[in-house]
Amino acid sequence: MLWYKSWLDTRWRFLIPLAILWINACGLVFEYAPVANVFSSIHVETTGSGVLGRAIREELDAQRTYAGYIWYQWFRNNLMAMGTIGAALLGSGSVLSGPSGSGLFTLSMPASRNRWLATRAALGLSQSFAIALVPSLAIPLVSPLIGQHFDVGDAVVHAVCAFAVAAVFFSLAFLLSTVYPDIPRPLLIALGVAVVIGLIESGLDLPGLFRVMSGSTYFHTRSLPWAGLLSSGAISASLLIGAGVIVARKDF
Amino acid sequence: MIETSGLKKDYGGVEAVRGLDLRVPAGSIYGLLGRNGAGKTTTIKVLLGMAHPTSGVARVFGLAANEPRASVEIRRRTGFVSEDKDLYDAMTVEQIVRFTSAFFPRWRGDLAARYQRMFELPGDRKVGALSRGTRAKLALLLALCRGAELLVLDEPTSGLDPAVSEEVLQALVSHVAGEALTVFLSSHRIAEVDQIADHVAIVDRGRAVVAGTLDDLRDRYRRIQLVFDGDAPEPSFRAGCVVRAQRRGRVLTIISNGGAEPILDEARALRPVSVDVLPVTLKEIFLETVRTED
Repeated sequence: MLWYKSWLDTRWRFLIPLAILWINACGLVFEYAPVANVFSSIHVETTGSGVLGRAIREELDAQRTYAGYIWYQWFRNNLMAMGTIGAALLGSGSVLSGPSGSGLFTLSMPASRNRWLATRAALGLSQSFAIALVPSLAIPLVSPLIGQHFDVGDAVVHAVCAFAVAAVFFSLAFLLSTVYPDIPRPLLIALGVAVVIGLIESGLDLPGLFRVMSGSTYFHTRSLPWAGLLSSGAISASLLIGAGVIVARKDF
Repeated sequence: MIETSGLKKDYGGVEAVRGLDLRVPAGSIYGLLGRNGAGKTTTIKVLLGMAHPTSGVARVFGLAANEPRASVEIRRRTGFVSEDKDLYDAMTVEQIVRFTSAFFPRWRGDLAARYQRMFELPGDRKVGALSRGTRAKLALLLALCRGAELLVLDEPTSGLDPAVSEEVLQALVSHVAGEALTVFLSSHRIAEVDQIADHVAIVDRGRAVVAGTLDDLRDRYRRIQLVFDGDAPEPSFRAGCVVRAQRRGRVLTIISNGGAEPILDEARALRPVSVDVLPVTLKEIFLETVRTED
């Protein structure tokens, strides 16, 4: 029943982003032909050595193949942005006191606060994983319809990378929700943190969370960013444990 | 069944409960009376593990209320109705009944069906769409059918019109009559407590200032009215049971919490023209006690 309650609380925040991303992933596949025509006609002599120049060159170079197009447009852009938003949205909202103030009814049930929290966290992380994986799997499924191929294994690896970092923002929103019981504040703060991290990483060209999330290392070198994945897991675990500590001490 | 000793709870320096001592016997209907902000809800939250005590002891079924595992066991054996009747608005009546039943191994499905009919609760209606009165009845159903040994009701009729209040109280009384239950009821409605409780504690500013059986309180509290020929004399009694003595013209009124006898000899020595000993209602006991504390 804890799972049922958690599902009722989060189902629309899960199903709507999932549907949007699934449609978006399929749409990208069908848009490939016109985009490929445009890219094949572009020849850039020089793009400069600054951050912007490097970004343009990376975009152009990556998208000269179908696999590169999918990686750049889907895993590096759309899934990264929407996956972050979806995960933060799923992590937002108090587990023990809903927006209508249903905290005491929940707390009167014979289940520990940790059980409520663990159930919601497990469901939210599963939903975040599904948001990363299911639309990504649509790509290898739909690609043959336009005469292209995208490897299922690659889709899974990229989805795992996206999920690992999305879990950090899920966990951050989850932690914030122990302080702010509503949905908007944890969501906006978590997204604000994501934007700041993204700006710092791209501005300083640093390897960080979003590089791990994009699966850039795997795309370019076929090796997994283990350090990034493990660090993301450790950050998520710390944030979730922090949420547990706060809720255990909290007075309702 | 419930025992607190020197229970204290601060919220950021504000003392909500200040050394509360309570002893709720098994099988009693125990009314916790107090003004708004007296610490009734905080006490209930501490008993059910929703808030942590700052100091002191709170035990329910002999289990420490602030110990997480014991608290789960306490809640497994307790039915609870919160003051706000907060439930899950997004669920239908049937869903929330099914949801709640899954947590309680001794759930009384037969009673749930009976109360659902009796309270005319529409099974397919969302909880958020229910009227305040219907919501209160649903909250009571969800508490009564848990197969609990203890019912904790925090202002169960707050915000309800008199007709629905009466319906809820009648349902509660008839349920308790047929079950081996202890009821711990907080209220600021004196008539409600007077109607159903057999034990009472009056709580003021986080402390129990009066506690005992209702019969005992009614026996102990007396109003002694002395009428004099001229102006009543300045009251000065040695007996320690004087709660309040008030002089108004020719009349001296004494409220005693130790019966009339310890005061009567002293009173007669003042040579009044008449002495009347009158019973005191629970409302008067409450008002006198709270006024004394002021």
